[in-house]
Amino acid sequence: MASPSLKPNEAVPLPDPLREAVGHLLLAMADDEVLLGHRDAEWVGHAPILEADIAMASIAQDEIGHAVLWYSLLQELGWPDPDRMAYFRDPPEFRNATLVELPRGDWAFTVVRQFLFDYAEKVRLEALMNSAYPPLAAAATKVRREETYHLMHSRAWVLRLGDATEESHRRMQAALEQAWPHALGLFEPAPGEDLRVAAGIQPPEAELRARWEAEVRPILEAASLKIPEAEPVYGGRIGRHTEHLTALLTDFQMVARSGMGETW
Amino acid sequence: MADTQWPVYEVFLQEKRGDPHVHVGAVHAPDPEMALILAKEQFARRGRCASLWVVPAEAIYASRAEEAEGLFASALEKEYREPRGFRVTERVRRWMERHGQSLPEAE
Amino acid sequence: MITYRIQGHPVPVPEQAPPPQEGPEYEARLAEFEARIARGEKIEPTDWMPEEYRRQLIRMISQHAHSEIVGMLPEGKWIPHAPTLRRKLILIAKVQDEGGHGQLLYRAAETLGISREEMIEAFLAGKAKYSVVFNYPTPTWADVAAIGLLIDGAAVVNQLMLAQGSYGPYARAMKRICYEESFHIKQGYDAFVALATGTPAQRQMIQEAVNRWWYPALMLFGPPDRDSVHTPTLLRWRIKTKTNDQLRQEFVDQYAPMVLRLGLTIPDPNLRYDPETGHWRFSEPDWEEFWRVIKGDGPCNAERMAVRRRAHEEGRWVREALTAKAAQRTNGGGNGRYAVAGL
Repeated sequence: MASPSLKPNEAVPLPDPLREAVGHLLLAMADDEVLLGHRDAEWVGHAPILEADIAMASIAQDEIGHAVLWYSLLQELGWPDPDRMAYFRDPPEFRNATLVELPRGDWAFTVVRQFLFDYAEKVRLEALMNSAYPPLAAAATKVRREETYHLMHSRAWVLRLGDATEESHRRMQAALEQAWPHALGLFEPAPGEDLRVAAGIQPPEAELRARWEAEVRPILEAASLKIPEAEPVYGGRIGRHTEHLTALLTDFQMVARSGMGETW
Repeated sequence: MADTQWPVYEVFLQEKRGDPHVHVGAVHAPDPEMALILAKEQFARRGRCASLWVVPAEAIYASRAEEAEGLFASALEKEYREPRGFRVTERVRRWMERHGQSLPEAE
Repeated sequence: MITYRIQGHPVPVPEQAPPPQEGPEYEARLAEFEARIARGEKIEPTDWMPEEYRRQLIRMISQHAHSEIVGMLPEGKWIPHAPTLRRKLILIAKVQDEGGHGQLLYRAAETLGISREEMIEAFLAGKAKYSVVFNYPTPTWADVAAIGLLIDGAAVVNQLMLAQGSYGPYARAMKRICYEESFHIKQGYDAFVALATGTPAQRQMIQEAVNRWWYPALMLFGPPDRDSVHTPTLLRWRIKTKTNDQLRQEFVDQYAPMVLRLGLTIPDPNLRYDPETGHWRFSEPDWEEFWRVIKGDGPCNAERMAVRRRAHEEGRWVREALTAKAAQRTNGGGNGRYAVAGL
């Protein structure tokens, strides 16, 4: 594993328990994005209409791009480089919420998952723009700008498909019922939350979840969708996943782990 | 319902503030807002973009090719309304030479 | 003459009978049309054009569009397996561009009076052709690199020619497409070189991919001039400006050295540089195979069509839902009146 290469003027000294706590947050964010980007990219060449195919491909690229950014911040804190992180860890080492590992599903599920995720990312980024850890605050500010398009895109799709036809409503409602408990898992506190909150790195996850619900509920209701009463699916942030992650990572990592070479 | 690729919206893109919006292509979209959302990634995923317009293609009313020649060509001399139709600087210079007029100090 | 609108594009149509395709009036218009092309001017959608010109363009542009769409599949298959995050991003962007190119091309064809629905329906019904090269399989990651260099290289040689063509909307689409294709070749060459300069296993993998893709790349330019029924007409009207064989030669001259320079081989015993002509000599692909694959009997024809049909069927409810939703919305107007007031 590469040792951290902290450049003196950029380095922010984090005492060790806090360094690790910040690492857990970054890991959760990076793993969420890289897997969601992977799932979104499964639509490339298969979306309902060309224009939607093109837009979804951009969103996939954005998510993976964000993952690279969060992995890079991790690297500054001493973790391996982004490719090692994405390609050479096994399922229990991944700290993504289970939402993003679920199979691609139909277009309704894709739209609903993306919508729930985009708004969760929005409230998280807006909070992190004020983070006491300056590299995180700076990166959050940058990424938040790119989120504007995602929000516009997924909101527009939800508002249309929610009550357009009987079939679209049925599919969207089913998608919401499947996605919602896993989406609540996006706010499962990653280990070290107390430390992070005390240090002003982030607000508590419960607070983020409340802000998120305040944003998504009115839109879902406007789309005539009924929000399920469900307990959150937790476990992702401590490495407990569904069987889908194993299949996903087999696909994701097969060439990199083929043993044929180190550079590609 | 017959299958559909949705109606066409023509797309106009302004590269940077102050530039005109220029026609760059079209998207198939169900409504104006989606047209804008979809046009953004088809026409502004690379390069600069400060603003986009989408216009239902049906709203475009075009001149007809067979009329173009008569419509846009000027048969008669209309240089009088072009800036190049005037030779005033040259006349000033000649007048100054003839009258020994020199430039004022400030110039 | 009146005009009717194909989704906004005024297309000249006759008031009653179709325009005469013979006789003195036709001859005069044809002479004018051909003189315009000879002067290097572009033909625009509202111009008079011989029906054969319109027909040939619709055939070519729609085939080109279908090829871009099918072309997303062999490479798209490797997006989930791309071996680094950078390669994954690049490959998504590249396959996305192919979709984008298909979109631009369908639109260019629409200006000739055919709708995207009609083109896609004909394609899904198996009534339209697309480039044979996309009916070959991509069994390894190296195929992505070989396609990126050889197939995209061949496509650019072809498309730079098409960008000089006489039909305005097609030539304009080609300009943007060529610009994006130059990114495709760069990424292809980059991935290609990474493997060719990598471990023995990686080198072997890219060599095998070159063996698979060399002849399909040559096929991309279409049948030899002696068998190409359309070429003389296409050249006269500047729908094409070079023949298939000329383009094939250009491609070999440009790309054979790029492969050989890396110590890889090309599966052609006759391939050699001819200092007298300054060109590379090469063997033609197996044209019997070409005709078999183009008629539907290639290694992946059935699979590609099945995938496209499934995507189309699974997307139908989405397209219908948004159409229905648009009909429900009362506010159909724009919000741009303040923006436009400044005109």
